[in-house]
Amino acid sequence: MITRFLVVKTCRLILLIAAVATLSFVLVNSSPVNPVDAYVGAAMLRISPDQREVIAKRWGLDRPPVERFGRWAGQMATGNLGVSTIFNEPVLSVIGKRFVTSFWLMALAWSLSGALGFGLGLIAGAREDTLLDRGIRLYAYTMASTPTFWVGMILLMIFSVSLGWTPVCCAWPPGLSAEQATQWQRLHHLLLPALTLSLVGIAQITLHTREKTIQALRSDYAIFARAQGESTVGIVFRRALRNVALPAVTLQFASLGELFGGAVLAEQVFAYPGLGRTTVEAGIRGDIPLLLGIVLFSTIFVFTGNFMADFIYHLVDPRLRKATGAIS
Amino acid sequence: MTINPLALDRRTRTMMVILGCLILFSAIFLGAWLYGEQGQVTNLALRKLPPGWNQPFGTDWLGRDMFARTIKGLRISLEIGLAAATCSAIIALLLGLAAATMGRIVDVSVTWLCDVGMATPHLVLLILISFACGGGAKGVIIAVAASHWPALTRVIRAEVMQLRTSDYIKLSHRLGKSPAWIARHHFLPHVVPQFLVGLLLLFPHAILHAAGLTFLGFGMSPHTPEIGTLLAESMRYLTTGMWWLAVAPGLALVLSAMTFDVLGNNVRALLDPKTLRE
Amino acid sequence: MNVRHFLIGVALPLLLVVTSCDRQQKVSADTPKTLTLILGEENTEGFDPTLGWGSYGNPLFQSTLLKRDADLKIVPDLATDWTLDDRQLAWTVKIRTGVVFSDGSPLTARDVVYTFNTAAKAGGVVDLSNLQQAEAIDDSTVILRLKLPDITFIQHLITLGIVPEKLHGPGYGRKPIGSGPYRLVRWDEGQQMIVEANDRYYGSKPSIKRLVFLFSTEDAAIAAAMAGKVDVLGVSSNLAGQKIPGMTLHVVKSVDNRGLMFPMVPDTGRKTPRGLAIGNNVTSDIAIRKAVNYAINRQALVNGVLDGHGRPAFGAVDDLPWDNPEIRFKDNDPEKAKAILEEAGWHDTDGDGIREKGGKKAEFEILYNTKDSLRQGLALAVSDMLRPIGIKAVPRGENWDRIKDELTHSFVVVYGFGGHSPLEMYKLYHSNGPEPMYWNAGFYVNPVVDKYLDQALLAPSFDEAIPLWKKAQWDGKTGLSTPGDASWAWLVNLDHTYFINQCLDVGRSQMEPHGHGWPITANIDQWHWICK
Repeated sequence: MITRFLVVKTCRLILLIAAVATLSFVLVNSSPVNPVDAYVGAAMLRISPDQREVIAKRWGLDRPPVERFGRWAGQMATGNLGVSTIFNEPVLSVIGKRFVTSFWLMALAWSLSGALGFGLGLIAGAREDTLLDRGIRLYAYTMASTPTFWVGMILLMIFSVSLGWTPVCCAWPPGLSAEQATQWQRLHHLLLPALTLSLVGIAQITLHTREKTIQALRSDYAIFARAQGESTVGIVFRRALRNVALPAVTLQFASLGELFGGAVLAEQVFAYPGLGRTTVEAGIRGDIPLLLGIVLFSTIFVFTGNFMADFIYHLVDPRLRKATGAIS
Repeated sequence: MTINPLALDRRTRTMMVILGCLILFSAIFLGAWLYGEQGQVTNLALRKLPPGWNQPFGTDWLGRDMFARTIKGLRISLEIGLAAATCSAIIALLLGLAAATMGRIVDVSVTWLCDVGMATPHLVLLILISFACGGGAKGVIIAVAASHWPALTRVIRAEVMQLRTSDYIKLSHRLGKSPAWIARHHFLPHVVPQFLVGLLLLFPHAILHAAGLTFLGFGMSPHTPEIGTLLAESMRYLTTGMWWLAVAPGLALVLSAMTFDVLGNNVRALLDPKTLRE
Repeated sequence: MNVRHFLIGVALPLLLVVTSCDRQQKVSADTPKTLTLILGEENTEGFDPTLGWGSYGNPLFQSTLLKRDADLKIVPDLATDWTLDDRQLAWTVKIRTGVVFSDGSPLTARDVVYTFNTAAKAGGVVDLSNLQQAEAIDDSTVILRLKLPDITFIQHLITLGIVPEKLHGPGYGRKPIGSGPYRLVRWDEGQQMIVEANDRYYGSKPSIKRLVFLFSTEDAAIAAAMAGKVDVLGVSSNLAGQKIPGMTLHVVKSVDNRGLMFPMVPDTGRKTPRGLAIGNNVTSDIAIRKAVNYAINRQALVNGVLDGHGRPAFGAVDDLPWDNPEIRFKDNDPEKAKAILEEAGWHDTDGDGIREKGGKKAEFEILYNTKDSLRQGLALAVSDMLRPIGIKAVPRGENWDRIKDELTHSFVVVYGFGGHSPLEMYKLYHSNGPEPMYWNAGFYVNPVVDKYLDQALLAPSFDEAIPLWKKAQWDGKTGLSTPGDASWAWLVNLDHTYFINQCLDVGRSQMEPHGHGWPITANIDQWHWICK
């Protein structure tokens, strides 16, 4: 039953969040990084020990860890994730603002890599062992060994610096305000970062789809269709597609975690002001509330991806549907 | 069927590939050792030179030879990756064995731990752990080691669980052998191939993730920078046209990762009796 | 979904977008209305002076009681009169009337009082812990009461922007209403800030009405400048050598310095309360410290590591009004350095090129923050310069936190300072630095110097303190500088380099403090376009 499915998943999510929250807090607390030092930064020479105490009090750092955890956990339960020390703004608001920016990047990259990867996987599987197949496989294997940020740097050098076709940074042309920037301009700025993520992200899905396609083409129904005179292309598109598409889609959803990680790197290379860059800043500048907030947020994000993958499987696969009872 | 001109069977070819990979890695370590201090020597007269005869990878803004720096950086990347991957793999082995042999509670706990370990995006977890360790090369190794074991744990656990149901294990148990004895004498040898392959395939991930972490600025190694740091530094000079600062180290990293991949896959082919004598 | 669908559905539109995207017009040269600047890091915390915004000098959106002119002389801004009482514990400040905030509400003494009292408790990066209390006598008179006499407190009158009491709260940093020459119109965090001239400003109205501040990485900034989209660009000196069409290089002197801090006491096993090791047996010998100072060729450092954008540094406060010119000496003198070492008993007895004395080798490590390539360059170059005189200085990159929390009292470290207040000198050289001692990390103690520094704080006016600051550096017999105790080897003062649109006149820039970028806006209300 669908409600049972949802209830079970929700319970798991809550338990997961509790575990991740506790673990992260413990980790973050054992860091040798002194948050007051991190906050003060370059103004070190002007800040006396008295002032440091005032700062510590402001961020609640003068209380013992257990009490701090209790307060934080309690606030979290009511949806308040504290205030970011870097931005002097509620953590939820910081994450919200920046996630909106990252969302478009991730959505575009996700769609591109899904479409491209699926397409290439199909082709490779349908033309097994040909030069095309080898080429695609080589590409996928190479990409799996290539760091995302390096691909970004190469693309930046070629397309933005040498050829000047794409901008060097940012989410829209500098100097314009958010409303003034047109959709085309935003897309223009999204291009390279999204391309970077896509080029690297297709590796897994390409290889996986290729495997599935090969399997499908060796299956009974394919042999039967071929015996009836159907061409390979025809088999792929008319029979195999549905069977191959499902694992591909679920894999794509399950890869949301990797996507987030890739976005962190891509945003760094292209100075794209999204959640990824903020994560790095939070880690480097010792902004504990924000770092914890992002950890929790990204956990939910990954969980949602896995949940969608599971859900779709349950929904679409008739075998599972029968097994678990009617889900309409 | 492809015609093989040397008429070598797959096994021999695989072994040759493996040997080739190992030679390549030894060359890197040897080269780094031979280069000694050269990657550190500044030469303010030779700054910012593009690749040429005397400097195959060019020089950087302090006049240091990029080839020397790349080799040394690669060696450090490999060391960090190897150390982290080995730790991770050992953790995975112990946890996987424990989960499959020590009863339901341990099993559920380990599975739960795996879930938690895989609940956050990999890089976010790495940043968190690196922050917790205060950065530095030590922080990077710990972070990478502490985040790569879940997948392999699951594999080993599944493998051992399957083994438990086989006849000879049940026989052993009947004959009075203790679970620890069975684990050591039956499970372990069976699992070693999986473990080895898993370990080898972990290396590229570990190396790439370590490079990513240092690129972001988390693991600034005090003595000699590894590839991620080299690339992060080169970001500042991209628009001034010093492309060689980024291309060479990155390429070196990609090739190393790929070599490990090839090594791992070939070892797997070697150890898997099904594909051995193709 | 096949290849054909993919091409039509995705690739083609993308291609169209890429080729038809509009290029931004070259705004600066043709229609000089908006000035675009890329100056440095974004102030992520917001623009709240009570949390530290503007503490390097000028808060842009708010106004301060006093300010510094191009020669760093203190001149009035909001204040018309400021006097210190006999016991140096209370400032009486009269402020001008008729000033309004950008929303029209009047600025009175109550706002000044509110600002000072709030800043003291706010827990930001502005340190007003010496403020006892601020009080308003009437609408235009304020009394600032201090806990201890300290002439350097005047720095806060120069840098603390006044905020409106009625509008200040936790979200003020994002909507900073003030009485400064400009007001914040819009802030797209992570990308840019749009700022417009404040029509209600009481001072001379700025000629440039609209400013856009962009925040980006250095090479993205340079690419934008190359494309003609930026009018003012702050760059680090190693990138200042390129040519950017339509822009000229504007070099500003600064007190942003770099130098080597020496541990001044020998290592006797003593530790600080937090457990840090104290002392270094080699650098505690004054001969070593003086030899290092004389051997180094500072001009070569400027040329090689700073690409010529800088000047040699001989003290911590070079060319500031409280600098003592008598501390200058002729460096790049390895012969003199060798003579000093020989006389002090450092000889190379085993022929390995390194001197020894009493069983220890003239060897130490120079620590630098790994993230800072400039300090790294300095450490490496200095090491090369010390070799010929028989000192082995090994550069070592370390994580900044490790330097601060473990190593700073027992190793030579490349540090950088430089501010507009002599308080810095006090903190660097006075012996009473409490734990944690980042400032006088070398444990330098000289009671004569301490006396001058204390007297300077107690001076009845800022100008009267100046001769005392100078005496602390060198009073003819002793001092903290190289002729005296040689407690540091100051190396270079950076030049801050900016690319400026050749049609823009930015006037005369102040000598800038540590931290490049924003300080150039100190006189932004006087900038104007010169082309037509």
